[in-house]
Amino acid sequence: MIGLTPYLVLAAILVVLGIAIIISKRNAIAMLIGVEFILNAAALNLAAFSRHGIGALSGQTAALFVIVLAAAEAVVALAIFLNFYHTIATVDIDQGDQLKG
Amino acid sequence: MLETVIFFLFAAVAVVAGLAILLSTNIVRMAYWLIAMLISVAGLYFLMGAYFLGVIQILVYVGGVAVLLVFGVMLTSRQLAPRLRPGPGEALWLVVVATVLLIGLILSVTHARFDQGAIVASNSVAEIGHSLLGDFLGPFELASVLLLVALLGAAYLARPKAPVQGAQQRKGTAI
Repeated sequence: MIGLTPYLVLAAILVVLGIAIIISKRNAIAMLIGVEFILNAAALNLAAFSRHGIGALSGQTAALFVIVLAAAEAVVALAIFLNFYHTIATVDIDQGDQLKG
Repeated sequence: MLETVIFFLFAAVAVVAGLAILLSTNIVRMAYWLIAMLISVAGLYFLMGAYFLGVIQILVYVGGVAVLLVFGVMLTSRQLAPRLRPGPGEALWLVVVATVLLIGLILSVTHARFDQGAIVASNSVAEIGHSLLGDFLGPFELASVLLLVALLGAAYLARPKAPVQGAQQRKGTAI
């Protein structure tokens, strides 16, 4: 039987991978992939805690909310990226410096 | 025993997918590795008995978000992708930050003493439904409003401003 710790360690690794992806990529969509990693790690943690009786079923419900929020976030972010692409003709976030003072 | 093997199988797929995305320079391959990671996380949900969560993960993430990302890639990467590989200085900082964060997180997670109860197998959809319409009624309604706002906002943001003109402009700058 697998305890709580392996799940938490896996989630920690996934969070770090997500942050590394966000740091290393300049493509806006690749950064969005990193964000998905972080959100998945958070949901995995919630579900693992829920399984071990910490907070009863609230963990699974909260993980559902994480999935819903991730979907909404991805939709709005992609719409913004499309707009960005129509304006600057690239999704390289370093090119989006028009607001620079 | 079998559970341990399955856990490490799914965990390995998720971590390998993350590393592959980190090292890859092809945005479409990244999207497919993301799908691999999402499916393995769904498998972990099934493994821990959260069946409803696993199904929702596959339906919403793999069926929705991942496909949306692939569409985003197709709609935006006309010329070859912007820089997907960090410079040497950035890579150094990246490794330092990631290592410190990883060590800190894993140490804190392994040394924390959680008040673990027995493993509860409360996975019925009915219970989750009661929880959503009971304790979580407020967040549930807020989430529905949020989804509506996201739908309208995305449709508003992504609409073509001047369709014909924009298309000609992009044709000019494409090559």
